[in-house]
Amino acid sequence: MNVTHDNDHKTTTIHATGRLDFEAAGAFQKDLEASIAAAAAAGNAVLLDCATLDYVSSAGLRVFLVGARAAKAANVPFAVYALTAAVKEVFDVSGFGRIIDVLADRAGALEKVGRSA
Amino acid sequence: MSESRTEVGADAAALAPLQSFLLEFWSNCQLPPATLFPFELALEEVFMNVVMHGSRDRPDVRAEFTLRHEDSWVELTIRDNGAPFDPLAAPEPDVTAPLEDRPIGGLGVHLIRTLMDAVSYALVDGRNVLVLRKHLDAEPN
Repeated sequence: MNVTHDNDHKTTTIHATGRLDFEAAGAFQKDLEASIAAAAAAGNAVLLDCATLDYVSSAGLRVFLVGARAAKAANVPFAVYALTAAVKEVFDVSGFGRIIDVLADRAGALEKVGRSA
Repeated sequence: MSESRTEVGADAAALAPLQSFLLEFWSNCQLPPATLFPFELALEEVFMNVVMHGSRDRPDVRAEFTLRHEDSWVELTIRDNGAPFDPLAAPEPDVTAPLEDRPIGGLGVHLIRTLMDAVSYALVDGRNVLVLRKHLDAEPN
């Protein structure tokens, strides 16, 4: 799994690429928690770009859950967008769409977190 | 009909080789890549359950994976000598609970039960035997 970040429009975007499996989950959780803490300090929202995230298991879902809770506790607007078919299926089966804002694309996600241009 | 088998110790380091074993089977049988995902997921969920729970306080726990392709079906059988665990007896998680009440974990079994067409469990000679089947003509993922 590969993770990159960018900051723009008071928004931190995390681009996740590859496989979020058990092996990748620990490092990604640390990264996500650090990004949310930094975003809280900067008054940023956090978006998770999943356009190139091919795979997620329950170990990966756990990281989404931890991230959503951390964001809520820190008052950081948080949303995910552009889920691939496999990741969307896992979200649907787990009911994660009820607890995390999932948007089809970046424009929708920016609007959701109140950062639309 | 083709069949392939591998056996690993209950160690998380074996997850990557198991993923390669699955990919190789898909490629050898020329199965459509779009049908791989539920099996990838099931393999990880079942194996990590054996690693995290099944092998607790037990030495020398091993898991054997058998993949079988026949007609339009693929069957994945996992046999392990870890603690007896019947995933079909596990309670369904509440997937409608709000963020605060979501348990951390417990979703793996639910994912397998939902994404596979048939799941059966038996304890045979002290070994867990879990058989997962899915029809490949089901909706693409």
